[in-house]
Amino acid sequence: MEVLNPRVRLVWSVGAVTTAIVLGLLAALVDRFALGVGLWVALVVAGLALALGVVFALLRYRIWRFEVRDADLYLERGVLTRVNTVVPFVRVQHVDTQRGPVERALGLASVVVYTAGSRGADVTIPGLTPERADDLQEQLRRLAIESERESDAV
Amino acid sequence: MRLHPFSVPYRALSRGMSIGLMLFFLGQSLVGTDALPVRLTRPGLFALAAVGVVAVALWQVAYYRRFEYRLTDDGLEIASGVVSRRNREIPLRRIQNVDISRNLIQRALGIAVLDLETAGGGATEASLRFVGYDEAKRLQREIQRLKRGAEESETGESADREVRDDREELLFELATAELALLSALSFDFRYLSLLAFGPAAFPFVPGLTEVAFVGGVVLVAFLVVALWVISAAVTFARYYGFRLTQVGDELRYERGLLQRYDGSIPLSKVQTLTMTENVLMRQFGYATLAVETAGYGPGQTPSGGSEAAIPLATSDRVARLAQDVEPFDVPEFSRPPKRARTRYAFRYGLALVGLAAALGALEVVVGPSSPLPVPLAAIPLAFVLFAPVAAHLKWRNRGYAVGRNHAFTRNGFWDRTTKVVPYYRVQTVIQTKTIFQRRRNLASVVVDTASSAGGAAAAVDLDAEKAAEFRELVGEKLQESLRERQSEDASPD
Repeated sequence: MEVLNPRVRLVWSVGAVTTAIVLGLLAALVDRFALGVGLWVALVVAGLALALGVVFALLRYRIWRFEVRDADLYLERGVLTRVNTVVPFVRVQHVDTQRGPVERALGLASVVVYTAGSRGADVTIPGLTPERADDLQEQLRRLAIESERESDAV
Repeated sequence: MRLHPFSVPYRALSRGMSIGLMLFFLGQSLVGTDALPVRLTRPGLFALAAVGVVAVALWQVAYYRRFEYRLTDDGLEIASGVVSRRNREIPLRRIQNVDISRNLIQRALGIAVLDLETAGGGATEASLRFVGYDEAKRLQREIQRLKRGAEESETGESADREVRDDREELLFELATAELALLSALSFDFRYLSLLAFGPAAFPFVPGLTEVAFVGGVVLVAFLVVALWVISAAVTFARYYGFRLTQVGDELRYERGLLQRYDGSIPLSKVQTLTMTENVLMRQFGYATLAVETAGYGPGQTPSGGSEAAIPLATSDRVARLAQDVEPFDVPEFSRPPKRARTRYAFRYGLALVGLAAALGALEVVVGPSSPLPVPLAAIPLAFVLFAPVAAHLKWRNRGYAVGRNHAFTRNGFWDRTTKVVPYYRVQTVIQTKTIFQRRRNLASVVVDTASSAGGAAAAVDLDAEKAAEFRELVGEKLQESLRERQSEDASPD
C-alpha cells in the first residue's frame, strides 16, 4: 500500500486555515450585529475550527492509502466514514493530473480517475509528487487500455 | 430528411403564444408611460404582440428549412441551427434508448417527438421535434436493424444469426384489472406539492383549539385521500394501455392515456434490474420490475424514476420476466447480523427521544398549548415502544446475495427494492464504514454501475469482514466475466 506525500498535510492545513478565517469572520459579524459579547468569540471560533481542521488533516493523512493492484486501483480513505473503493482498470474512462495553486506552491499534484459510474464517477488521489502523479497517470492509462478487451463500457 | 411540415405550425403556435403573451403584458405595463419613444396605445399593443407571433413563426420556418437528418450505416447525422450551425453524428452503437412520445394534440396531428439517449451527458442526446409518427417508428426500427448489422460485421459473426426473426413477441400486457389495482396501490408523496392549495380550500374554524385540533385531523385525512386520488389518477394515465414486447434483441414498450410513449431498450445495454414491492403489493403478491440502462440523465427518465418495465404483475410473473431479460439464478439472501437490528432500534429510539425533547423545550418556551390531556412531548415517547418493531422490519427486509453472474441487494420495508446487477456491468465497488458502523463492526458495500435510474445497489450493514470479502469478490467476478466474454468472442460456436 502506498501512502501520500507527507506535505499533503500542509495542503489540507492551508484549507483548514481558510475555513477558520471564514468562520471567524462570520462569528465576528454575528457578534457585531446580534450578540455583542466581544471579539474573543470570533477568535475562539476560528481557533477551534483551525484546531479541528488540522487534526482532521493529520488523521486523513494517516488513513489515506492506495495501491495499484493486478486488475484494479484500490483506495482507503475517510476520517469519520471510512471508504474503501475498488476501481477496475477496465472501467477507467480517462485519467487527469491536477495541480491547484496551493499544491503547486508545495510541489504536489493530484491524479483524478474517471469512470462511467453513477455514484463514484470520479476518484481523486491527492498528495503526490508531480513525478509520481505523471507516472501514475501514465501507468493507469496504459493499464486501462490493456485491460480494455471489449470496448463497450456502457 | 426533413422534419414533419406540421412541426412548423405546432412549434410556432406553442412558442409564439408564450412570446406573444409576454410582449402583450410587457407592453401593457408600458401603456401610458413615457418609457418608449412612441406612445403605446391598445391597438399598438395588439400589433406588438402580433409582431412577436409572426417573428416566431418566421423563425420556425427557418428552423424547419435548416434542419436535416439522415440515418446512415454508421449513425444518425443531424445538421441543424438557423444562425449558428451544428452538425452532429451519433454513432449507432452508442445509442441506448429510442423514445417516441406524443401528447394529445400531437396525436391528432399525427406527429411525434423522437428522443435518442446515449450514455453520458446530462440531457437527451438528440431530439427530433417533430417527425411524423410513422417516420418515428421507422427510425426506431431502422436504428435497431442497422445497429445489429454494424455489430455483426464488426465481430465477424456468421450471417445465419441475421435470420433471427423480427416478429414482435408480446411479453406483457397490463390488464385493466391490474391497471386499476396499480392505480389504487400507488401512493406517491411527490404529488404533495400539487396539494399546496388544499389547506386554503379547506373550511377551517379558527379560535377554538379543540375545533382546530379536530380540524387538523380532518385536514390530514383529507390530504391523505386527495394525495391518494391524485397518485392513482396520474398512475392510471401513465400506464394506460401498457404493452411490453420483444423484437429481436430489443424490448419495446407502449403506454399512456393522454400522452403516448413508445420506447425501445436494447437488451445488450441493460445495466441493472430492479424489482420493487411496497407493503401493500407484498400483501397481495404483486411486484414491479424496472430495466435500467445508462441512457438517461439524472432525474429525467420518462416514467419518472424508473425506466420502462413492468408496472405491476404478480411476483412470480415479474420473476419470470426478469429472467427473460437477464437470466440469473436466485440465490439465498443473507441478512445483516443481528447487531445491525439493535443499531436500528437505538437509532429510532434516539430520534424519538430527540423529538420529544424538542417538543418539551417548545412547550416550556411557548407554554402548554395542546388540547390533549398529556403533554405534547409524551406522544413521540409512546412510539418508542414501536422502535424495536420498526428495527426488526427494516432488518428483515435487508440483505445481499452472491450469484454466479450477478450480485443481489435488497433494502426497504415500505418499498422493498431488490436489485440485480450483472458482474459484467460493475463500474466501481465502494465499501463505507461510518463512525457508528465501526462501533459495531459493520460496513456497507455499494456496487456501482453506469445505470442512470434509481440508486446504486447497496448491501447495507454487513459484518465488516463479510463486506470486505464481498467487495473483493465483486471485483474478481467482474474480471472473470470479462475473460469469459473474451473467450466467447474469440471462438464463436
